[in-house]
Amino acid sequence: MSELALLAGRPSSRKRDMFVSFFRVSPNGFVPWLLPLTVLVLWQASASYGALPPSILPAPFDVAKAAWRLTLSGELLLNAAISFKRAFSGLLVGGTAAFALGLSNGLSRLSERSTDTTIQMVRNIPNLALIPLVIVWFGIGEEAKLFLVSFGVFFPIYINTFHGIRTVDPQLVEMARSYGFKGFELFRRVILPGALPSILVGLRYALGIMWLTLIVAETIAAQSGLGYMAMSAREFMQTDIVVLAILIYALLGKAADGSVRVIERLNLSWHPAYRKGARL
Amino acid sequence: MSIAALQSNAASNGASVALQGITRSFGETSVLEGVDLEISPGEFVAIVGQSGSGKSTLLRIVAGLDQAYKGHLSIGASKDQKTSARIMYQEPRLLPWASVIENVAFGLGPQATRHQAFAQARSALEAVGLGDRGGEWPDVLSGGQKQRVALARALVSKPDLLVLDEPLGALDALTRIGMQSLLERVWLEQGFTAILVTHDVAEALTLADRIVMIENGRIALDLAIPFARPRRRGAVQFGELEEHLLTALLKSKSPSEEYVI
Repeated sequence: MSELALLAGRPSSRKRDMFVSFFRVSPNGFVPWLLPLTVLVLWQASASYGALPPSILPAPFDVAKAAWRLTLSGELLLNAAISFKRAFSGLLVGGTAAFALGLSNGLSRLSERSTDTTIQMVRNIPNLALIPLVIVWFGIGEEAKLFLVSFGVFFPIYINTFHGIRTVDPQLVEMARSYGFKGFELFRRVILPGALPSILVGLRYALGIMWLTLIVAETIAAQSGLGYMAMSAREFMQTDIVVLAILIYALLGKAADGSVRVIERLNLSWHPAYRKGARL
Repeated sequence: MSIAALQSNAASNGASVALQGITRSFGETSVLEGVDLEISPGEFVAIVGQSGSGKSTLLRIVAGLDQAYKGHLSIGASKDQKTSARIMYQEPRLLPWASVIENVAFGLGPQATRHQAFAQARSALEAVGLGDRGGEWPDVLSGGQKQRVALARALVSKPDLLVLDEPLGALDALTRIGMQSLLERVWLEQGFTAILVTHDVAEALTLADRIVMIENGRIALDLAIPFARPRRRGAVQFGELEEHLLTALLKSKSPSEEYVI
């Protein structure tokens, strides 16, 4: 132990450790961004040498200029804010309902028997297939987007919450009962923490579906938001704005995934797979 | 404290256990058929038997985990009227999302306040020799250390009855010997009544005041172990008794098992 500590404390080996962790181990390091950056450089180069006509794919520099222009006019921020609001209200509505139903079906056989079959049937309907019907019902108002996003995020959260609760180790539950834990205390101390890894997997899936659904819905039926911005730019052949919107989708996806990873780090530090420095 | 003084202390802190005509069947198969057993306060009883003989079922009934039995079970209070049975399982069953000390404090039940529980948990951890590991996650501990944490969790509430369902079965030989002396030490210090289910006759001989053998759902043998404590492992006088018990155990093979190749 003391020998190891000494070894780790020696400056030369610490420097090497930092070097190693920067380039290989740390997920925040430089390496994950190498590939996107290379693509960006190649893209800019081929656009500058005329291999890529701007009507097919505008140069990254032009996309950046479009971003700057739209930021200055406030259009980008406004549309992004609207999309964000829609996405997260859908997640809130659909996610809360799914979590509540997942809990009640996981904890009560009666609840499971009366609703699970129905949910499994509805689950196989792709939520985007509902768009025509949703437009008939709600027009292109906010309700349509809220409904589609809520519907989309419901299933991954429901299924993973239900599954998480059902797979909590029954031996632990028996142990906790023998120490007098029951009801809410049993739930809070044993069942919820046991189900949490699975619930967070559900949340991660749900975030992906959330953006996908929202962007499709905004592209087809909206008068604001990022999807609308891309779609109206297409009508004027402003490919730079279309590409900008696509790049923003990529960043939003990455941000959503990253935020769940942070939640996992904070709440699942007991789990060997989520411990800091663990390779996933 | 001398061993004699410890043992008289033992008699005062434990619960008495009385079973009368305990019968338990699962569907058509009856696992226990009218078991009568009296255990005095502070006694250490080992229950041995073939697998499938019903010894674990008996233990689960005493621990209150199995209520679907016929017959009469009474657990008498010790002088301070606690009558809390605590169980140690073959697996440690620690909550992986709670630190070692939180796991031990868990043994005080849902009513305990956090501050008071942690103080008691700390001294229970010290008693099993893990006083400095309280802040760690259970999964970094070895199998033997996890079982010691489980023992601390069982003992933190100062139970007057501890039932042990082969708690050392999954440990390697050396860790096992260490755990046996730890168990004997805390039993002598705290004076609870202990009921240990085990496959290991030598373990029963080292620890128990009395060995009860279960055969096909009935008590086939009830033997007081007269050796003074502390007992030396592998002492010559053990040999004859061990031989006697093993012969009895081997003879008690249930008919269904004889045909298994």
